This record gives sequence, structure tokens and C-alpha cells, in this order.
Amino acid sequence: MKKNIFVIIAVLTAAAFLLAQDTTTRFLIKNATIVPVIGEKIGKGSLLVENGKILALGQDIQAPDGTQVLDAEGMFVYPGFIDGFTHFGLVEIGAIAGTVDYREMGRENPELRAAWAINPFSVHFGTSRINGTTAALVAPAGGTFPGLTALVKMDGWTLPEMAVKEVATSMINFPMTPRPPREGVSAQKETKEDVTSKLVDKIKEYLDEARRYLSLKKLAAENPGVEPPAFNAKYEALAPVLDGTLPVVISVEKAKDIELALKFVKEQKLRAIFRGCGQGFMVAGKIKEAGIPVIIDSLYQGPSDPEDGYDAPYRNVAELAKAGILICFSSGDDPALGKDLTYHAAKAVAFGLDHTEAIRALTINPAKIFGVADRLGSLEPGKDADLFIATGDPLDYKTGVKYMFISGRKIDLANWWDVLYEKWKARPQK
Amino acid sequence: MKKNWTILLAGLALWGVALTGYSSEKPVLLRNANIITVSGENILGGDILIQGTKIVRVGKNLPAGPEAEAIDLAGQWIMPGIIDSHSHIAVEGEVNESGELISSEVDVRDVINPEDINIYYALTGGVTTIHTMHGSGNPIGGKGIVLKMRWGKSAEEMIFQGAPLTSKWALGENPKQTNYQGPGRARYPKTRMGVEDSIRNEFELARDYMRQWKDYEKRLKASQDSKGKIPAPLPPKKDYRLEGVADILNGKLWVRCHGYQSEEMLSIMRLCREYGVKLVCFEHGLEGYRITNELVKYGVGISTFADAWAYKWEAYNTMPHAAALAAKRGVVVAINSDDAERMRHLFNDAAKTVRFGGLSELEAIKTLTLNPAKIMGIEKWVGTIEAGKDADLAVFNKHPLDPYTVCTMTMVDGKVCFDRAKYLEDRKKAEEEKKKKEAEAKAPKEKKNGAEV
Repeated sequence: MKKNIFVIIAVLTAAAFLLAQDTTTRFLIKNATIVPVIGEKIGKGSLLVENGKILALGQDIQAPDGTQVLDAEGMFVYPGFIDGFTHFGLVEIGAIAGTVDYREMGRENPELRAAWAINPFSVHFGTSRINGTTAALVAPAGGTFPGLTALVKMDGWTLPEMAVKEVATSMINFPMTPRPPREGVSAQKETKEDVTSKLVDKIKEYLDEARRYLSLKKLAAENPGVEPPAFNAKYEALAPVLDGTLPVVISVEKAKDIELALKFVKEQKLRAIFRGCGQGFMVAGKIKEAGIPVIIDSLYQGPSDPEDGYDAPYRNVAELAKAGILICFSSGDDPALGKDLTYHAAKAVAFGLDHTEAIRALTINPAKIFGVADRLGSLEPGKDADLFIATGDPLDYKTGVKYMFISGRKIDLANWWDVLYEKWKARPQK
Repeated sequence: MKKNWTILLAGLALWGVALTGYSSEKPVLLRNANIITVSGENILGGDILIQGTKIVRVGKNLPAGPEAEAIDLAGQWIMPGIIDSHSHIAVEGEVNESGELISSEVDVRDVINPEDINIYYALTGGVTTIHTMHGSGNPIGGKGIVLKMRWGKSAEEMIFQGAPLTSKWALGENPKQTNYQGPGRARYPKTRMGVEDSIRNEFELARDYMRQWKDYEKRLKASQDSKGKIPAPLPPKKDYRLEGVADILNGKLWVRCHGYQSEEMLSIMRLCREYGVKLVCFEHGLEGYRITNELVKYGVGISTFADAWAYKWEAYNTMPHAAALAAKRGVVVAINSDDAERMRHLFNDAAKTVRFGGLSELEAIKTLTLNPAKIMGIEKWVGTIEAGKDADLAVFNKHPLDPYTVCTMTMVDGKVCFDRAKYLEDRKKAEEEKKKKEAEAKAPKEKKNGAEV
């Protein structure tokens, strides 16, 4: 009975809070354990939000009269998680071509922007928020230069409203030494020829062509007599990559290829972010030395090579972190599995990654990697009020997120799954 | 060709265990474990006594006896070995006969690959028994088989003796070839109507075939009885495809039917009742949560994913709560992998049913143990930890539903088939070996007396 009253009070408080949301721009979360990521954990803490920004947090926060209050007794406040690599809004159902917009034809499409195609109302934004994700890198795919990623918040009426950066990074799919043939599949012959290096040379040639175009254009601008080259959108899009102002996500997996990629990045003077690095543990020191951060791919993968041991993808994460590399997690290629971001982090913790480091790899690390740490990635005054309140450890499969705020707006966590669940739960049982 | 040290060492370890433990039938006492028995209450700080391949006693403070080899599990968790009721590993090559509509003549038993490394990977995730199957491209596909993960043994030795044989069926987009991009001409059917029709049609052909043989046997007997006065009849043409369907109609094969949409599942349940076919389970059954009344009534289970969805249209109208909702309403639900990689962390998948749909921890564990055992007809031998059952066990350093748990040991038939401590030791050795070799390769080569050797 006592428990029931508790529930009723909780529901009424929540309802009052919900109703008030439209009219107020200020609210206070109190009695929570706050994990700000930057700074110490705050027990029995409060956090004040105004106009979409965090105003203050601590144990003694005074809020002006009329401030809406959310009592989060026994719960935990975290900065929203950032998914380091997804196709959110670009794919609805993988098998239905009409709902797929992430893979363009052709090998070189560096000018294509994910931001042009992201559907803000994709069902996967809703289902992928439920474990705390409030922002994500959305990337195109395919070819050597798939295009330009966008860093978006997981809520908004239109894409420009969601975007933290409409252009966050460029991308290069680094040539890959093929995985060893699967058991039972006819064996591929190992060629002596270094195919990978030849393909890397092709990328270099392409970048050189872009450089030639850009210098000719510059020359023409400075000298009225010189004819400028015909407009080339692809080379134009590579300009900020070549002058090092725009980072480029380079997908690379095997140790051998990572070493080639490190050399390539150095020669080409690129601002690189690696993605994948399944065999990163073998060359962790070199990645660290180059100062290149790593986006961890979905951990639903076997080892790159059986000789790495069955747990290679899992322990790899801890090894990269131990080497001092800035890492972040990602849910990977399937937007329908966006909620699994935290499951990957949990797996890495099970195999040696420090829990605090795992939380950083979901928050401040990706914020730093994508250059948005001034707004996202931690709970600090002045930052965006992108946060969630969980009933327990947010990496636990068995606990959930209770409340979420993006830019200070309370997010309705109900999604397509809840629609189905509520409807069919009601079918009379015979 | 590169030797794979994982396989090699795992193989050697098995051979060692076989020599010392198994063949001598020395009892093994697993001590000081938190036991999830599934058949009853959890036993915290309990012991399990194993004799040969079987569990003989489960309880607290069991006497070791002078003979028993005691293994102290130091407060680790132990559950019944995980049973994956829907898998395609340990199969040589492809699993689908895409060109033909019906392929009831083919049998996975003929193409078991005991060296598939995924068997070892399965063990690293606590999996001890699997149901491996023909693919889902045919309304009536090939036969499937239940295997124990006896890594290092032959194909024949891996077979779970006594487990009912199965027939794999498929409904919906796969037999319709909706998403099939491969070469070849389009074939019938292209609708769910056509899928059901092709099964019904095959039943009628098989009935006719069975009648022909019955008739032949009758006439043959009459001929024999007449002592040659009536000439011996010619036998009908042998048709292995229809023989397969006949085995379904006479109940020799248990049907495992791949299906997603609730309405196609309902109509196939009606069809199976009409022909007296033993339909035990829908594979995937992502909309099974909608027809729980009917599934319970007909005694049909679901072998499904914890949360895979939206990869095609028929997988869209579901949610991670589906498994728990159906289980709570009395349907026998198994969480399966259908994937060599997912197989490694089925215990994580079971944990999701606690949050989504609110299964109890015990019910969640059942989706990996007792429930699949029931669906596969092997609950007499496996699925719980109790005296008399096979000693198939999975040990975890934390509760198997804990997010940070790691499987540390897996036993099949009382034999340790995966031991993480041993694995770590072997890997360390292999790494040291590799470093040594690299150092040797780098060191300048000595020339003997200046002569070329």
C-alpha cells in the first residue's frame, strides 16, 4: 500500500513536470547522484538548467521560485552518450531499397553530405535513445570516399535543428587486407603482391589531383590571366581535408593496414580519426604516438584473425585505452541496433576496460574527437543540457533510462516498441 | 598454410583431459559455486559431483571422497550449459538450396564440419548443445540435427544421441525470394499464399507416394502368398524428396518452421493440425507475441532473438519485449543466436528479457536452457543441473546476467572443453614465443668461418 502511494506521488510529480515543460525554460533536478564526467561524482546533487544550458550543479544549488523540480531520488544523472559512428536516419529497413540512403554509387564521393539525407523521424532515433544516447555521428558508406559525416542530436524538428555540426568529418575507407577465409569456404590464395599498398597509392594520386586543382584555382584567383579549372565538387570537398581543418575518419582494421594508414596520414598531413582498429592492440604504441583517436566499432564481431584469440575484439578496447589513445564507442553499421552502444561498452568493461574510462568513451571522448567538447560530453555550467537520468548503472542490460533531456527539452522516450507493447499487452489472454 | 594455435592448443588440452579425467571415470567435484540449477532454487556456495558424463549429486558440502578430483570454483556462478536451438555452425559450406522450392531430401547430418572454429567460440560463451539447421530458403527444407559441442571429436561423435531429428521449414520473405539478389530465374511462389500452397501440395504428393508404396507392399505380399501364381509387382520409383515429406507426415521429423508474421504462423498451425504434423516451434517468430493464445493452445514454442529486428519488412513489427511477453503468457520461448558471433554472448541477450518485458532472472536463464531443451526434445538429458542429467555446465565469474560477466569454463559431458585460465596461459606463451622468434629474425646472422652455409 505504502509502495502504491509512492508510485502515485511519483506519477503525479512526473505529470506536473511534463505539463509544465512547455511554459518554463528553467528546471532543477535534485537528490540525484550526478556523474558529471569532468569533475567528481556528486552525491545528493542538484543540477539547474536554463534555456537549454546547464546553469549550475552541486550539492547546494538554489533555484529561483517557480523553478520546476524533478526529484531524482536514488537515480543517476549522466551527460548524454554520443554514438561515434552510425547510419541513423539514412537506413530504415536494410532490405528495402526505398528506405536506404547511405550508400551512393561510385568510389569517390567526398562531397556527399549525410546531412542532406538524414530523416529526423527515423524510428531508429527513438529506439536508440533508450540507453542514454543523445547525439551521434551519422556517416554515409561505400567506396573509398563515402562523403561527409554529420554530428546530430537525437531529437529535433528538422535536420538543421538537430545538427551540432552538419559537416563533422570527411571519410576514407582504407584498403583492407582481406580477412582469412572462413572455415568451409574455398580458400583464397594469398598473393605475394602487395595489393593494399597499390590501392593506397591510388588514394594518394586522387588527393594529388585534388591538390593540383586547388592550387590552380588559387593561382587563377591571384592572376587574372590564368584560366581557372572547371568546377569540381569532389576536389572542392577535399580542400578542408587537405589543409588539415576537417578531420577524416579512416576505417582500418588489421595491424598491417593500420601501419600503412599511419604512414599515409603522416605523409598526407591529414587530421585523422581511425575507426575499427580490430588489431589495434598490436600497434597501440604507434597509434598513440601519432596522436590519432580511435572510434571502436560494434563489438559484435569475431577476431580479425583466429590467432588473435577469441576475446581479441573485447580486450582490444582496454589495450587501446591503456596505451593512452583517445577512444570512443559506436554502435556501428546497423541503425536498428543503436541502443546496443552501451552493451559494447559493457563488454569492453567485462574484458578489462575501467568503468570510468568506458563512461568517458561514451561522453567526453567522442565530444573531443568530433570537436564539440565546448558543448557536449560532460555536465558543466554553460554546456548544452543533453543528459539522462538512469535508475542504475547505465551499462547494465537490466536497467533503463528514466528521463532524458536534449537541449534542455524533455524527451518522450516512448518509441515504436512501446506502441506495439502497449497494444498487444492488452490482448485478452485465454 | 598457417597453423592455428588456438585450435591446436584447444585440441591438445582436450586430449589431455580425455587421458586424465574422462577415460578413467574418476569423479569430479565442483566445489563452492553459486549454482543456478534451473530445476529449483539457486544454491549459493554449493557443490556438484560428476561421475563420468553425468551429474550424480547437487547440494551443499558434498563429501569429496578420496578418489574425486576437486575443482574449487571460489564463489563463481555455474549454470546449465547453454543450448542454442537455432544455429547454422559446424556445417560444411552453404546451408540453402536456393534453386529448388522443396529440399526435404537433404540432411545436415551429411555435412557436419567438426573442425569449424565456431564450435570453439560457442564454448567460450558457455554453449554446450546446438540445433544446427538447413537454411530458410525453402517452404520445406532439409533436415537438421542436434550436436553437442564435443570440440576435438569427429562429426559422428558430436551428434546428440536420442535427440529427435528435425525438418526445417520456412515462410514469408525467404521462400518468396523477396530480398534474393542472386542469379537465376524467378520462381514460384511470390506470395505467402503461394508458400502455404506449396507445402500443402507437397503433403498431397507425399500422401499419394505413401499410398503407392503401401499398395505395392500389399501386392507384393499377395504375390508371395500366392507362391508365384500372381506375378510380383514392380516397385514405385524411389523419391527421396517425398520420402522426407513422408517422414514429416508420419511424425518421424519434428518441424521447425521459420516464420515472422503472426497470420502466416496461424495458418501454418492450422495446416499442421489438418495433416497431423508435429510442429514444435516457430523460428524467429518475431510477431509470435501477438498469437500467444494460439501458440499455447497448439503447444508450439518460439525460438527467437532477444532484440534483432528491422533488417527486413517482416522483422519490423516487433520489439525487444516480444520474447518476455510471450514467455509470460505461457509460450515456451528460447533465445537463440542464428549467428556464430551472437552465439558467444547469448547470456547477455537473456539479460535483456529482464528489462524488456520483465522476466524474472530464472525465467530469463530458462530461455537459454530448459526451454530450448524442451523445444528440441532433449530435456531428459540437459537443461537443468540435477542428478542424472548430463554434466554440461557453464561457469561465469559473475552472475551470467551481470553486464560484466565472463564465461570462465565450459564442460560438456563432464569434460572441460573451454578453460579461460588455460587459454590466457596459452596465449601468453604464444606471445612470448612470437616475440622470441621476432627477436631471432632481427638478430644479425652469424657466418661460419666466412663461408656461405
